Amino acid sequence: MLKTGFKPRVRNAVMLHKTVSQVSQELHACIGCNECLLACPAVTESITIDVLNRETLSGPISAPVARFSRACYQCGACVAPCPVGLHRDAMMMWLKVRMLRAGWGE
Amino acid sequence: MAVINQRERNNGETGYSLLFFAGNAWFKRFLVIFVGVVIGVVFYVWYSQHSSDVSPDSIAGYSYAIIGTLFLLFAAFLYTLKRRSHKKRIVGQLHTSLNWHICFGVLGLVFLFLHSFGNFNPRTGTYALYGMIALAISGFVGRFLDRLAPRLITGEVHKSLTVIGEDRIETISQKLQAIVVHNTQDLHSFAVVPGETSQNASTSLVPLSGPVSSDFSFIHKDQALQTPWDLAYISLEATPQELSLEANHYRFVPDRKSELARPGALMPGAQEHISELQEVERAMQRELFYRYIILYWRKFHIALALLTLALTIWHLVYAGQLLIPVLLHR
Repeated sequence: MLKTGFKPRVRNAVMLHKTVSQVSQELHACIGCNECLLACPAVTESITIDVLNRETLSGPISAPVARFSRACYQCGACVAPCPVGLHRDAMMMWLKVRMLRAGWGE
Repeated sequence: MAVINQRERNNGETGYSLLFFAGNAWFKRFLVIFVGVVIGVVFYVWYSQHSSDVSPDSIAGYSYAIIGTLFLLFAAFLYTLKRRSHKKRIVGQLHTSLNWHICFGVLGLVFLFLHSFGNFNPRTGTYALYGMIALAISGFVGRFLDRLAPRLITGEVHKSLTVIGEDRIETISQKLQAIVVHNTQDLHSFAVVPGETSQNASTSLVPLSGPVSSDFSFIHKDQALQTPWDLAYISLEATPQELSLEANHYRFVPDRKSELARPGALMPGAQEHISELQEVERAMQRELFYRYIILYWRKFHIALALLTLALTIWHLVYAGQLLIPVLLHR
């Protein structure tokens, strides 16, 4: 097979948010490899990907995940390393919206 | 007791306020910056009082220049290399590297500022220093934007999604579609069945199939065929375009003073949904705008870093041209 060396530039792509059903699909497609968290410059604490996935969609949000969600600045560094092409930034955005709706956001 | 406190702490963090507390991970780096600045300034004051040669090309000036350049190189390359390398990385390590990047950047700027010894002549070194100051300011503004813009994006996304998290535009569009279908059905009831009245040719309205609501949905039957081709031909009989004065007609297009002339009067609720739709579209545009701010500010910071690097190299070449002949003739 001929290698052209072409690599699509997804790192700097700007995209809008996703709906909760799309986020849910992506969460179910996550293979839990942790690459997104390793590439993230915002996460300060050791968070496991299964805890993050579990708390993203619904249910209570623990303090480390809440701190990570607030610290996430949507740089998109987590998107490029994902081996299955998921958008962790969109998942984090849904988590942020949940937090905004849950508490003293407005 | 400790377990309870931990549990309370874990369960107590909800919400996403505009000025949220980002944690105390920066405290160690702030301490390092403080100690570094204090050492640099104390040495600067001591050297200024005990030496007659207070210039950028004095021993102290060169020391400041070398230390400051090293700090800036650390700031530039440690974080970049750490970001690109994937070896033995642990979760949270990049954030630590980012904090050190800020720490070294600030220390480098302070030491290079001290290296100037108050000489701000319009030369290469001054331009390089201005570049560094702009770079540091852009970095701090970028960190501020990194906190503010995602919070603003979240507010806009909150407007764009329904309570259950689905697309609000789709929901509103479905409601609008339902209104349009409803109104089309209502208008069908106004259509007069052909052959029902006398002179029915003028009022027989034929609705088009499908949910359409504009005036184009009704056409005058056989209108084109009954129009006389000869313009000189005049008849006193009513033409198909004229309405009979005797027949009862529904006045579909009201005059300006009528209540029906009000926008949305014929489609109750539609105007509200349309303005809601426009509001969501504006929210999405603002979301995109904030995302572009995050993206392009980062690019701007990198461009400034490259410019500063070029100015620094220019200054080093200039300083080398002055310094090397002096060193060679000693």
